[in-house]
Amino acid sequence: MTQTLLPVALANYVGLSAVIFFIGVAGVMLRRNPLVMLMSIELMWNAANLLFLAFARAWMNDAGHIFAFLVITVAAAEAAIGLAIVVAVFRTARNVDVDEVALMKG
Amino acid sequence: MHHVMGVDGYYPLLYVIWLLPLLGAVACWAFGPQLKRTAGALGSATIGASFVATLLSWGAATQSAGGALGAHAHLFSWMPGWNFGLLLDPLSLLWVLVITGVGFLIHVYSIGYMYTDRAIARFFAYMNFFVFAMLTLVLSDNFVGLLVGWGLVGLASYFLIGFWFHKPSAVAAARKAFVINVVGDVAIMFAIFIMFSRIGSISFGDVFAHVDRLGSLLFLVCLCLFVGAAAKSAQIPLHTWLPDAMEGPTPVSALIHAATMVTAGVYLVARCWPLWNASPDAQMLVGTIGGLTALVGAILGISQWDIKRILAYSTMSQIGYMIMGVGAGAYAAGVAHFFTHAFFKALLFLGSGIIIHELGDEQDVRRMGGLMKKLPFAFWCMLVGVLAISGIPGFSGFFSKDAVIYGMLQHGHPWLYAVGILTAGITAYYMFRLFFVTFLGEYRGTADTSAPGAGHAGPGGRPAHAPGWLMAVPVGILAVFATIAGYVLIGGGASPWSRFFAQTFPPESLPRPVIGEGLTTVIALVVVLCGIGIAYLRYATKEALANAPTRLARESARMPAPLVHLFYFDDAIEWLFVRPAQLLGEIFGRFFDPRVIDGAVQETAVSSQWLGALVRSAQTGLLRAYVVIVVFGAACFIAYYALAGGVR
Repeated sequence: MTQTLLPVALANYVGLSAVIFFIGVAGVMLRRNPLVMLMSIELMWNAANLLFLAFARAWMNDAGHIFAFLVITVAAAEAAIGLAIVVAVFRTARNVDVDEVALMKG
Repeated sequence: MHHVMGVDGYYPLLYVIWLLPLLGAVACWAFGPQLKRTAGALGSATIGASFVATLLSWGAATQSAGGALGAHAHLFSWMPGWNFGLLLDPLSLLWVLVITGVGFLIHVYSIGYMYTDRAIARFFAYMNFFVFAMLTLVLSDNFVGLLVGWGLVGLASYFLIGFWFHKPSAVAAARKAFVINVVGDVAIMFAIFIMFSRIGSISFGDVFAHVDRLGSLLFLVCLCLFVGAAAKSAQIPLHTWLPDAMEGPTPVSALIHAATMVTAGVYLVARCWPLWNASPDAQMLVGTIGGLTALVGAILGISQWDIKRILAYSTMSQIGYMIMGVGAGAYAAGVAHFFTHAFFKALLFLGSGIIIHELGDEQDVRRMGGLMKKLPFAFWCMLVGVLAISGIPGFSGFFSKDAVIYGMLQHGHPWLYAVGILTAGITAYYMFRLFFVTFLGEYRGTADTSAPGAGHAGPGGRPAHAPGWLMAVPVGILAVFATIAGYVLIGGGASPWSRFFAQTFPPESLPRPVIGEGLTTVIALVVVLCGIGIAYLRYATKEALANAPTRLARESARMPAPLVHLFYFDDAIEWLFVRPAQLLGEIFGRFFDPRVIDGAVQETAVSSQWLGALVRSAQTGLLRAYVVIVVFGAACFIAYYALAGGVR
């Protein structure tokens, strides 16, 4: 690991990514507003993206960049579908509390 | 390579003989509503044409080339050792001639007999189908084809016994005949399994050329084959279906249950003579069973009052003679008795059919009597039949029965010889009993005045009247043959019969028995005359005829219990097989099915319901709970790899 393009040590990136990821996890687990939950998921995607890019720069391997683009694309699709579901649920239930919408209870 | 019995080649006339009756059956079945009564003419014509084709094949069937005898037509090959074909050699030629010849006469007779029956097309479809099945049986050149025909004749017999299916007794009789016959079918199947496993072929030629390979299983093969023969030919103890089978129309009784189908067992034993000749134990068994059947059938014939049941027991008894003959090694004699029996027994059945027909379905001889004046034609025809079956010189039965009886002595079975002579006497007794009670004295029935169930007697309850020519001509022809058919046996070793079968059966060089052929004839004749004399004293003296109603009523009241219960064969079968089977069914119906089968199904349903409830409780529908589970699971994975050092 002689050559690197990182201005600061890799551990900082990893630490920041972990912090963002767990903020996202906590948001999904604790908040009941589906919009906020989608935003929290977005945070987790971006934590992963940050790691891809950090390792790509650290190891001089462009594959990480490609994966970041892939993640952004999938995240966009996910957001579109997620928002559509939220809108559909809101239209029928007039409610955006995920605890109140338990249609799949077995 | 496979051995062919018969000159290998393509003899297309065999297809014509074989398939014409099938064509008639299909036509009568498919176009019954259109054909109506012409179905009878069509059905008779196909059998008649088949008979003519058989006559045309006579030369080919008796030719021999390179050690092979008869005509052969290959059908198809399935696997190595499984070659199917048709074979017409002297033995099958004889059977085919009787099946199609006597069959044709009975078909013509049936046109008259079944004239008023609405289902006449169905009747002829079944009859033609029967002839086809029987031809399959005797024309096959292999055991599997024989078994196919064997099963099909059983099916046709079932159809025709139960032809009047609105009678519960007819349905029960049909079922009984079918079930007992299937016992025989299965036995033959086992014999085929053994033969194929040891010899590797199903064709007669291969099996008979390698009998030695059967080794210690030979007796078992013979036993299985004979169980089949006994079921089909009504031999003890599988005979109980035959008297019940008289529920069918009388022409059916004549064709299937007298002349042809029930003699299939005789054919099987005669066809498989290389097997029996190699196993003296099996010969002893078959001869003994045949002799016992002859005796028991004759004794039971004494006790019956239904004219058709008397004839049924006499059929059983006469087939006992044939089986005794072919079983003990007197093949040509046993087969000869089949030949003459086909004529005189068909004659007796068709003659009794005329009586039944004219008396409005009356079958009880106690309500007949004095029919000599009313039905002179039936009287003379029945007289010929009775003389023939009793073995009076000049009539066919005399020649063949004596040949069988003398054959017993030649082949070293003095006991069977004695049984044969004794049975001849009893036969003469019960046949003349039938004859005297039916034709002599005063008429004791009611058909003249009221004609009960005058289905056949015509409108207005017409009294007994002469049969139409459709029924009379076949009976007349049969009467002629019942007289002269035995003449082919005249001449001993140089007779036409012996020359016909010279290459079919093994040559016999037997020691001269103590009692010669002439003396045997005399002894048998004396015994027969004694039987007739006793019958005359009991039924035909002036005094007996004057008091006939009271005497007959007293006789039926004093009938010994074993005879009334037909020697308890039905009861034995009932207790040994039917009741245990019913008990088994009861156990399965009451316990096994509801508890075990249904229980397993119920338990599966209940336990999967319970499992579903358990799993369902995890499905809360709460999104955030799922997230917690996913995160917890991911945490577990990470913890595992971190602690186990899986990550490097």
